[in-house]
Amino acid sequence: MPTVARAADSKVLRFVPQANLANFDPIWTTQYVVRNASLLVWEQLYGVDANLTPKPQMAEGHEVSDDFKTWTFKLRTGLKFHDGTPVLAKDAVASFNRWMFRDTMGAIIRKQLDAVEVIDDRSFRIRMNKPFTKMLFALGKASTPACFIMPERIAQTDPFKQISEYVGSGPMRFARDEWVPGSKAVFVKNDAYVPRDEPASWLAGGRRMYLDRIEWQILPDGATAAAALQNGEVDWVETPLPDLVPLLAKNKNIKVDVADALGNIGSFRMNHLNPPFNDVRVRRAVQMALSQPDYMRAVVGDDESLWSELPSYFTPGTPLYNEAGGEPLKGKRDIAGAKKLLAEAGYNGEKVVLCVATDVAITKNQGDVTADLLKQIGMNVDYQALDWGTVGQRRASKEPIDKGGWNIFHTWHAGADCVNPAPYTALDASGPTAWFGWPKSDEVQGHIAEWYAAPDLAAEKAAAVKINKASMEFVTYLQTGFFKMKQAWRNDVSGIVQAPFPVFWDVKKA
Amino acid sequence: MFAYIFRRVLATIPVMLLVALFVFSLLYIAPGDPAAIIAGDQATPEDVDRIRASLGLDRPFVVRFGEWLWHVVQGDLGVSIFTNLPVTHMISQRIEPTMSLMVLTLFLSLITAIPMGVLAAWKHGTWVDRLVMATAVFGFSTPVFVVGYLLAYIFALELDWLPVQGFVSISKGLWPCLRNLILPAVALGLVFMALIARITRATMLDVLSQDYIRTARAKGVGERGMLMRHALKNAAVPIVTIVGIGFASLIGGAVVTESVFAIPGLGRLTVDAILRRDYPVIQGVVLLFSFMYVLVNLGVDLLYTLFDPRIRY
Amino acid sequence: MNTSSLNMADAAVLPTHYAAAPVLADVLPPVRERGRFGTFFRRYPTVVVGGVLIGIMLFIAIFAPYLGTVDPTALAPAKRTRPPSALYWFGTDMLGRDIYSRVMYGSRVSLIVGFSVAAIASAIGAFIGLVSGFVRALDTVIMRVMDGLMSIPPILLAIALMALTRGSVGNVIVAISIAQIAPVSRLVRGVVLSLREQPYVEAAVASGTRTPAIIWKHILPNTLAPLMVQATFICASAMITESILSFIGAGTPPTIPSWGNIMAEGRALWQVKPYIVFFPAAFLSVTVLAVNLLGDGLRDALDPRLAKRL
Repeated sequence: MPTVARAADSKVLRFVPQANLANFDPIWTTQYVVRNASLLVWEQLYGVDANLTPKPQMAEGHEVSDDFKTWTFKLRTGLKFHDGTPVLAKDAVASFNRWMFRDTMGAIIRKQLDAVEVIDDRSFRIRMNKPFTKMLFALGKASTPACFIMPERIAQTDPFKQISEYVGSGPMRFARDEWVPGSKAVFVKNDAYVPRDEPASWLAGGRRMYLDRIEWQILPDGATAAAALQNGEVDWVETPLPDLVPLLAKNKNIKVDVADALGNIGSFRMNHLNPPFNDVRVRRAVQMALSQPDYMRAVVGDDESLWSELPSYFTPGTPLYNEAGGEPLKGKRDIAGAKKLLAEAGYNGEKVVLCVATDVAITKNQGDVTADLLKQIGMNVDYQALDWGTVGQRRASKEPIDKGGWNIFHTWHAGADCVNPAPYTALDASGPTAWFGWPKSDEVQGHIAEWYAAPDLAAEKAAAVKINKASMEFVTYLQTGFFKMKQAWRNDVSGIVQAPFPVFWDVKKA
Repeated sequence: MFAYIFRRVLATIPVMLLVALFVFSLLYIAPGDPAAIIAGDQATPEDVDRIRASLGLDRPFVVRFGEWLWHVVQGDLGVSIFTNLPVTHMISQRIEPTMSLMVLTLFLSLITAIPMGVLAAWKHGTWVDRLVMATAVFGFSTPVFVVGYLLAYIFALELDWLPVQGFVSISKGLWPCLRNLILPAVALGLVFMALIARITRATMLDVLSQDYIRTARAKGVGERGMLMRHALKNAAVPIVTIVGIGFASLIGGAVVTESVFAIPGLGRLTVDAILRRDYPVIQGVVLLFSFMYVLVNLGVDLLYTLFDPRIRY
Repeated sequence: MNTSSLNMADAAVLPTHYAAAPVLADVLPPVRERGRFGTFFRRYPTVVVGGVLIGIMLFIAIFAPYLGTVDPTALAPAKRTRPPSALYWFGTDMLGRDIYSRVMYGSRVSLIVGFSVAAIASAIGAFIGLVSGFVRALDTVIMRVMDGLMSIPPILLAIALMALTRGSVGNVIVAISIAQIAPVSRLVRGVVLSLREQPYVEAAVASGTRTPAIIWKHILPNTLAPLMVQATFICASAMITESILSFIGAGTPPTIPSWGNIMAEGRALWQVKPYIVFFPAAFLSVTVLAVNLLGDGLRDALDPRLAKRL
């Protein structure tokens, strides 16, 4: 029997990402897939290691004044952009400025910022008017949008417009001429890259590339992706369909492992600007009726070890995790109570626009469960089947429903991003500067400020309890549960680690 | 004859103009304001007005159509709302897989269906005939994606003979390219095969009952030779016609087949564009496919004169 | 008979999809003499088989709620992807919905789309064809417009139209119908033009019979047979088009169970849970087959050449 010839090139890794890379500006969008691609092309001043501690990456080191108001950074030597120009302090400053306008932590910095100043080619200074202890978390946060350093001329792009040049300083270059949105994206080794000396740990340490090319193949159909992996046509599938994982695990040429031990939090995101979800009672009504086990089974399938209920905003198993105020999400679901509360809030059959990304299984399945749930509690659902890229654009609209606005979309947050308020974009309730949905709760924001000011872990924990309780009452967003995904790769690939994002350095192909 | 060809080519121009008009109207009446989309979410109403004026979107329909057409004639189909890339660029990236798939499908369909049709006509009324006909009816009653998944399951996953998905450019070799395209081409071609087999059989039967065939038979031309030479020659016109018409079903089927087999062609581009409501891309693809369809049928018309000298224009 | 009579204009009458050859009746084997009603069925078994199958599908569609079904949209993630069993006859899908119920209810979408498109496209197409055939002044304009419409592959036209609107069964019907009008109008126009040359029609015109009366008495009855044949093929083609539109996410909204939607959702699991795709696929195939068989049989039974002899 003729066997299919396997592509033999051991320097080319064929990777199936979780979604299509439709645009490529990691500041403009917060989609994980864009961030993941960006991690190859751009670098940050700091990078989190496997303990989520920020370690110097582009930075050689920093100095901070005793009052935590003045932060001075120095770039390490040998950094070069892909166009050959050296990375200078002015590039870092411009990039920091652009990022600050799109990030929730950036917004907090902006409020307390005096100035960002270039000192010389390799150093710059950030001056705050209040003590700010979490600067390294800000610069090194992997949660989206991450503060990637781009050449000044690109970083000067309006933060609300997409960049059109993809020049970074990372270990791979983006092969723009080979980019076919919806089909593939290619990254080529940057031979001029000088990795740090330390061993790699997630985004910290030396990023040593053993691959010449990384080809992202966009396979929106999960069955096709699984089949391609089985047949050796691709090397690594980031998020295989949970229902197909047992099949892949049976294949002796394939390895299957949990993608990220910190897991993910399923998100039911409501628009706080548009009725009916501008009324907290409507949000609470959904909260008391929502069944997390339903969502989780729909998302991760039959393997119960992969999910748990989550009456919390924080990642289970991490220090700040608490269930304060989480009662409405626990126990028997209360459909009748929800209906009553809706009536009380004056809900009268208004259309609820549910934007469902049908090309990403996690969002599609959540969307289907939501459509059924809202129908059960008597809401009038307008189910809009879109693709993930479109949801990414639609959700940015603050318009009312009749002008293309939205009420609900689904996504998920990496557990790594939900360990504390610093990287946790979705927790922010600052209104206009908050993440899509623009929740506004001064109480939640007050408690988040308490966490930022907390001197020690005990104080942080106390603040986290208050944040959780207030957020649960306010219903910033709704948790659909905590789940872990699996990743799968061919046996001849080694060096794949568990992380909240695919880590390509140290990956080798036999 | 050349006068005929000239006239026939000329006649496609108004048709293409009409298609262009339909396609343009599509974008014109599409919901959503392109200016607002381009301006982005943070734009003020003044910004949007400015962009609208700078794009000329505030001018009358006819003027805009004329301008758009002028651009199209020059090969400019506009810019994708979604990727900001020129539509012609996106199409050029995707055209090779689709063309390869269609050519292979046509080829496979013709070399299997015509013998099937001839065989059925030859064995008219026997079980062979009925089998061919039954296969044909099933062929165009089974949706292309069902056939696609079935083939992928059997030949790629169970037997491991052919790849499940993907596309390899012919520039990397004929066999690597063919390997990837065989299953999709068979899935896509089934309807087409059914169509051609039926028409071949029907025409053959018809020709066989003609007077001149009876004459040929009386003159003692051998059964097999007679079938091949006289009948098939006369069957060429209807077969070519059906190939031209069936081309439309091929285009429709390609949209599905490319999704099933993850072939990065124009069909996938169409599906992606639909979900994103990326109207310039939809416009461009519909225009291109329609143009191809018109061209194919133009070619079919011209072929008539070759196959059937009795046709005089 | 001369094969060259089959030119583009005739052939273009084909519903561009699958329908093999309604217009090609000319090149089909000579039709046997029509016998008595009783022998009709023996002579045209495909009509009987197709008719009975369509009857069964109609029964299922109408009585779906009484055929042991449950709410086809009710989720039960705790009972997801169950294989077919005594409890779940066709199994459950990835959200725990009962596939049997979804397939039974799904027949409604397919049949409604198929029949509506056939009726709408035939009615509008026939009207345009009649106008074109009788009003010389409009003929050229109308036919050029139809040429333009027919130059857009029907699926693409339907897809493009669906992109303009929100997914709903009504919109699907309209989109597919528009794509099918042109071929019908050409068919009817062709018949009108050939009938106009008939002595009895010419006589009627000469004797001052008004046009509507001529259409009613002479033209319509004669267009009915080819139109019916054409309509069945349009019906089959429309059902497949609906499933394709739903399959690629541009058709019936995902909240309504249609065979295309069930397959679209189940296709991701076809390797491990093939039954999710299998049942709707089988029902769709059988229904389309039935309609095609009926169309084939009808064409044989109502051969245009026989009709012409009336």
